[in-house]
Amino acid sequence: MGWIKSLRRWGRRTDGWSLASAAGAAVILLPILYVLTGLLRAPNDNWVKVKQYLLADYVLGSLKLVLVTGFFATLIGLVLAWLVTGYSFPLRRFFRWALILPLAVPPYIAAYTYGTMTSYTGIIQATLRNRFDLVLEPGTIEVMSFRGAAFIMTLFLYPYVFMIACSFLERQSASYVENARLLGSRGFMLFFRIVLPIARPAIIAGVMLVIFEVLSDYGVSNYFGVQTISKAIFQTWFGMYDVDSATRLAAWLMLAVIGIFVLEKYLRRNRQFHATTSRSKPLSPSRLKGMAAYGAMMFCSLVWILAFLAPVSQLVMWSIQSYRKVWRTDFADLMLNSVTGAMIGTVIILIIALIAARTARLLSSGAAYVLARIMTAGYAVPGAIIAIGVLAIFIMLDERLMPIYELAGLGKGRLVLSLSLGMLITGYVIRFMATGYNALEAGYEKISLAYSEASRTLGASKMRTFIKVEMPLLRGSLVTAFIVTFVEIMKELPLTMLLRPFNYNTLATRAYQYASDERIYEAALPSLLLIVVSLIPVLLIIMMERGKL
Amino acid sequence: MKKSFRSMLALISLITVMALVTACGGGSGNAANSGNTAGAGNTATTEPTATPEVKTGGEVNIYTARHYDVDSELYAKFTEATGIKVNVVEGKAPELIERIKREGASTTADLFITVDGGILNTAKTEGLLQPVVSTVIDEQVPAELRDKDSEWIGLSTRARVIVYVKDRVDPSQLSTYEDLATEKWKGKLLVRSSENLYNQSLLASFIALNGEAATEQWAAGIAANLARDPEGGDRDQAKGIVAGVGDVAIMNTYYVGQLSVSQDAEEVKVAEQIGVFFPNQDTTGTHINISGAGLIKHSPNKDNALKLIEFLTAPEAQEMFSSANFEFPVNKAAAIPELLKSWGEFKHQSIDFAAYGEFNPKAVEIANKVGWK
Repeated sequence: MGWIKSLRRWGRRTDGWSLASAAGAAVILLPILYVLTGLLRAPNDNWVKVKQYLLADYVLGSLKLVLVTGFFATLIGLVLAWLVTGYSFPLRRFFRWALILPLAVPPYIAAYTYGTMTSYTGIIQATLRNRFDLVLEPGTIEVMSFRGAAFIMTLFLYPYVFMIACSFLERQSASYVENARLLGSRGFMLFFRIVLPIARPAIIAGVMLVIFEVLSDYGVSNYFGVQTISKAIFQTWFGMYDVDSATRLAAWLMLAVIGIFVLEKYLRRNRQFHATTSRSKPLSPSRLKGMAAYGAMMFCSLVWILAFLAPVSQLVMWSIQSYRKVWRTDFADLMLNSVTGAMIGTVIILIIALIAARTARLLSSGAAYVLARIMTAGYAVPGAIIAIGVLAIFIMLDERLMPIYELAGLGKGRLVLSLSLGMLITGYVIRFMATGYNALEAGYEKISLAYSEASRTLGASKMRTFIKVEMPLLRGSLVTAFIVTFVEIMKELPLTMLLRPFNYNTLATRAYQYASDERIYEAALPSLLLIVVSLIPVLLIIMMERGKL
Repeated sequence: MKKSFRSMLALISLITVMALVTACGGGSGNAANSGNTAGAGNTATTEPTATPEVKTGGEVNIYTARHYDVDSELYAKFTEATGIKVNVVEGKAPELIERIKREGASTTADLFITVDGGILNTAKTEGLLQPVVSTVIDEQVPAELRDKDSEWIGLSTRARVIVYVKDRVDPSQLSTYEDLATEKWKGKLLVRSSENLYNQSLLASFIALNGEAATEQWAAGIAANLARDPEGGDRDQAKGIVAGVGDVAIMNTYYVGQLSVSQDAEEVKVAEQIGVFFPNQDTTGTHINISGAGLIKHSPNKDNALKLIEFLTAPEAQEMFSSANFEFPVNKAAAIPELLKSWGEFKHQSIDFAAYGEFNPKAVEIANKVGWK
């Protein structure tokens, strides 16, 4: 019923915005729908085996990992966000941006780094053995396990929650928090009674990204030997050579994820989260003293050291050891390729996400929400599966366009689009729509519709309303969306591997080239460059923000 | 309303233009090679690298699942010698196969290069390859290291052996892979996950040699004897036995070589404390796996592709493979590095590599069934 109504409303409101949304949605939806059609094809014999031997254990494994990582990443991300926005203590300003940095470390590189650091030959055990003659019982430090995987994923994924929550709390929570403070709410009570409930849209946006990352991860769980649904997908593909069954698994995974978030939306259907006043004055932090200040600083430091300083220092050490062996003249090209791809992809994603988030909000109907969720579902399944969808659509396009290529003198029976960088960029856009969209959606939720309506009533066009009224209110979310998306594309691996044109290498593919062969020392230099290059725009944006604030 | 529509149109055209710009940027490189297909028929007997060749130019396009520095060095040398440009896409083998399959007759790929006979065979049975006809290659690569229809050609081999800690295990205690599944090694064996292709091909070779039932029994014994749940890669197994988690491990020879030249002194120490044992010398032989190159059915630059295979299997390139990567050369004329010599000669399984691919699904099923994670 609601669907029909919203369709009718859609019909009435057809204009540039919704046409553009539809065009953007089509580009993104086709490959995703291609994967989903896997469910329509008849299952083959392997499917029975997949269900019999793989499904139960692997689904459970993923569920456990999602729950544990989701819980801890949210807890750590949110507590840190609340600490640096709600309180002032030594080094607070440093941690406000430094705690974002682990985002730039690809989890699989972190897994290899921690795995090697804690191994028998790693720095910890080797130092104990050689300096102190102390031999650890095997298994004392055991990171290659479920706990290790949860540890790595929590440490390197909490920044999603942290970033989105920070930008939300800083700009949005001031009136609530200050009123609560006036009424005597302090410490934990303030956190649980006020901060937690009002930050819900931001938390959900962040958690969603964490969950999607955990579900689609292959590198960490593969190296640490944890059974996850993503691994089941690859085992079906690579072990049984059965792409169809692998796609079918991925399609189920996507459906499940879409279902969860539609359910979440339904559960909070009657709540509104936008601010009640037009004053959006930033939250003024209250000063922590004595032990509390010390404790807050220690907690931030601990997380930062584990999630950034320690692994990055180790990578620096290994890079120094190995750079002679791995330095090649093409490193400049690798950096250029990584940055260009990430930049173009991010810009396109932000444009489409802006249009889509705005449309979904204006229509405020179930149908638009479901559509948006399908658009972002690409993030929950392994990149390689999305890549297959993109490949299928592009080759189909090429075949249709072949007569035109021939007329243009490109030769007979040539592939053009599917050998181009365009295919890879499209892949990026589809896979990382979620990072851009979720951050923007959280931002839109806190802007009252009243502003746009007032602007329209006063005679401003939609475009003018958008640029003059909505964009400035969205600035924080746009910055977050940009950073998260850019860094994600920089780190991206499976999609790049499968969709890239000839001779197109990125820092991530070069790091993989070594890491996949267990040569973490050689992988250190490209990994380190990847982290540094990802951080440059992040730092620039943060500095720009600072200057403006 | 009108105004906003116009701005929207501008936005859409901007996106389109961006997409087109990126599309053309990447596409132009490959448009040039369509001229090369003409001479695809006359392949056979061009002298390889020995004679200084007339620089023909042109290019050859490779999809490869090998990603070693030495491969790129060899491609660069090939370009230097022949003037033929080598274009490369690296990826995981099953993904590359999928890409070749979907590109179909329009593909620009000439060669598919990967590690593992099973995958090479899959590429063949999927109908992606065509026979290689070259007497030079026939002379350089023994028939047992080529596909029986020459649809792929071996480039190098590696052995999957038993590695032991020298101070706790006497090599005389070791004999066969089968022995590792007996009571004797309970709680002392390390091996990585059965999800790894090296283990799947090992299992597949047993299915081919000993039959399904025996293989299942063996796999169950291995799973029961493990000192810990499988984790990490091959190197981690070597470190595990030196650390005392277990006594023996199944791993590939070339990782032992790599440990021995690691820039980390601790890894070199690990290499010094372990010994390499070639099992099943009195029975079926040691399991080996193969890296190989397949000629793609719709290859547009077939001549150049053949020249490259000839180049890669000539003694000079073979010696580079071996010294940089500790793999065994396929060309008998190539010299091997000291470390490989020190392990001695060994008898390997005599088996059609096609079996690795043929029995892979069964191998995965058995591993899942017996609980070898």
